[in-house]
Amino acid sequence: MASVNKLGQHQARMAYLFITPTMLLFAVFMVIPVVMALYLSFTNYDVLSSHDWVGLDNYRRLAGDALLWQTFLNVMYYAVVFVPLNLLISLLLAMLLNKRKVGVKLFRTFYYLPTLTSAVAAATVWIWMLHPEYGLINGLLAYLGITGPAWVSQTETAMLSIIVMTLWQSVGSNMIIYLAGLQGVPEHLYESARLDGASRFACFRYITWPQLRPTTFLVSVMAIIGALQLFDQAFVLTQGGPANVTKTPVYLIYQQGFNQLQMGYASAQAFVLAMAILVFSIISMRITKAEEPIV
Amino acid sequence: MRKWLIMMLTVVMFGGLLAGCGGSGGSGAEGSSSGKVQLTFWGDWGGEGQKQFETMVDAFNKSQDRIEVKYVLQQDMVTKFLTAATSGGAPDILFWDRWRTSLYAPKNVLRPIDEYMTRDGLNEGDFYEESLKELTHNGKLYGLPLTVDARALFYNKKMFADAGLEPPTNWNELEQAAKALTVWNGSKLEVAGFSMGDPGLFNMYLQQAGGQMMTEDGKTNFNNDQGRQVLAFWQRLLNEHKVYKIGFEEGLGEGTDAFVTGKVAMLYTGPWMMSTYNKYGQDLDYGIVPPPSGPNGGQGSVMGGFGLVIPQGSKHPEEAWEFIKWWTANKDNALLWAKTSLNMPGFKPALEDPFFTEDPLWKPFTETLEFAKTRPTHPGYSVMEENAVIPNLELFMQNKQSLDDTLNKAQEQGDKLLADNAVVE
Repeated sequence: MASVNKLGQHQARMAYLFITPTMLLFAVFMVIPVVMALYLSFTNYDVLSSHDWVGLDNYRRLAGDALLWQTFLNVMYYAVVFVPLNLLISLLLAMLLNKRKVGVKLFRTFYYLPTLTSAVAAATVWIWMLHPEYGLINGLLAYLGITGPAWVSQTETAMLSIIVMTLWQSVGSNMIIYLAGLQGVPEHLYESARLDGASRFACFRYITWPQLRPTTFLVSVMAIIGALQLFDQAFVLTQGGPANVTKTPVYLIYQQGFNQLQMGYASAQAFVLAMAILVFSIISMRITKAEEPIV
Repeated sequence: MRKWLIMMLTVVMFGGLLAGCGGSGGSGAEGSSSGKVQLTFWGDWGGEGQKQFETMVDAFNKSQDRIEVKYVLQQDMVTKFLTAATSGGAPDILFWDRWRTSLYAPKNVLRPIDEYMTRDGLNEGDFYEESLKELTHNGKLYGLPLTVDARALFYNKKMFADAGLEPPTNWNELEQAAKALTVWNGSKLEVAGFSMGDPGLFNMYLQQAGGQMMTEDGKTNFNNDQGRQVLAFWQRLLNEHKVYKIGFEEGLGEGTDAFVTGKVAMLYTGPWMMSTYNKYGQDLDYGIVPPPSGPNGGQGSVMGGFGLVIPQGSKHPEEAWEFIKWWTANKDNALLWAKTSLNMPGFKPALEDPFFTEDPLWKPFTETLEFAKTRPTHPGYSVMEENAVIPNLELFMQNKQSLDDTLNKAQEQGDKLLADNAVVE
């Protein structure tokens, strides 16, 4: 009995030793900065000279910051369109490419390729495709007799352009995650369902979709976080314009903190963004029922 | 024994982390074996710009034997300077986007140079007053201008000759020329008579109409007759004469630039585009004139450019000043810099050289600089322009907001941003 205890203690000690590097990194690079940022959001920190406690001043200023709330609405709109489309398209692609056929690997590679392109390079190509007069897309529309819009320059279509481009860039990697999820669904479930005469749709509805719940949760949460933190694509494609419709919270936070040296206020803005991400992640968790066990 | 091991490992790992965070403290810029003072010069120009900087640095190093300057390219220079200014390791000389002075000078991270100026008998009149104003805060001067620039009107000579037109000198002639040179093919714009892609040029038009972006006491100052004149002018060009289409120049790279390929007949731009036009526009024959004057004869252009400053953290401010003086306040060196980089130097005597006065492409710029004004030196000016003025102008240009609403909203939002971003002393 004593030796078992001793072994247990030894194992526990070794376990702590093994997780120490990760926990230390986590503490130094995640926990401490987050606590610092929370503290800074109550100060008028400007990186260089001042560092005084200002209480809730920054948060009071947030309430009247119409531009910040507009950027939140911008990314909400983006998230509401982008996240479901992203899930749908990547799941469809994964199901199409989850077959053992000749050439499937080639297609998987093709769909994954855009993910490897840098946002800046991709945006440069997309701006060109979306050009009102010489772009590929308006060229095709012209064949149909339609005068296409000035995609990235018009208030109605600027955010749509960003959605299309980021979808093109991100479905590839989510497709891979879904492929892995699909291959983890046990074959015997389908086999018994087929024996019971289940239709293909019923197989998807009652086996594939529930089995993929954790995968869907992962993909949707990552997509939501990515959506709320949208920055580089929007910056390269439209520079936040026209009329602020594609300006995002991250862009404002950067501008306020590093360009205007109001790091305290920027920290308060960042905290609001973090809270928004938390809320949306919880909502997504409820919708995908990620916390329920898979049968 | 095992406990020891665990302790040791933990200590080593933690120490490693700390070292990773706190490293790169010492700049190592003390005197070297050769006995010369070593200076570090930070800039964010890479590629061609880096070579141009290095040409100047080498020339300085060869010109004397006490000081040795080294150029260090910093991609995200301002952010790096923020950390360096607080934790040590600041450079001795900083390449400086002048408008940032009003933001950084109150934080005591830049060194005033007034005493050096008087001691060495430098004449402030040798520099553009406006460019010095931008480097000044609370009556103290923080650096000297390295480059000056301003936008002027570029026009396609061939198109003007074909249409029998003379380059415009006022708004009315600009309007007529733009109208005459625009070519539509159904709903497709083939040649835009005049580029109107950048609502950020509002400041320049406002000056031409006789206005100013801001009042002396730090409020916006465009919701008035002058502002209305500018927007009415834009409205005529965009809606009545349809000389431009929103998004027309979007994403056109250097080789496919709309002016180079003859799709735009006139545009406002600066000397920095000349090398692109010369490189890609073999068939492009262009001329430059100072910006046309407004309805009451007002002239206006926005002066921009860079300067050199000395951070407070520099351990060798005297030597850094020597370098700045050699580069920016000496006719030969300023001219060498101009010829190397094709930038206009901030030192006026250098601009009196035949290199500038006898070249028909440079002359309009030196003329423009005579009346060009820098942006207001309010620390909130750039956010006000970017987040309040330009977005409302974009709505106006897309016919989604009336003229009066545009000016009212830009004023209301602009005043708020100015107040929120004012200096906290």
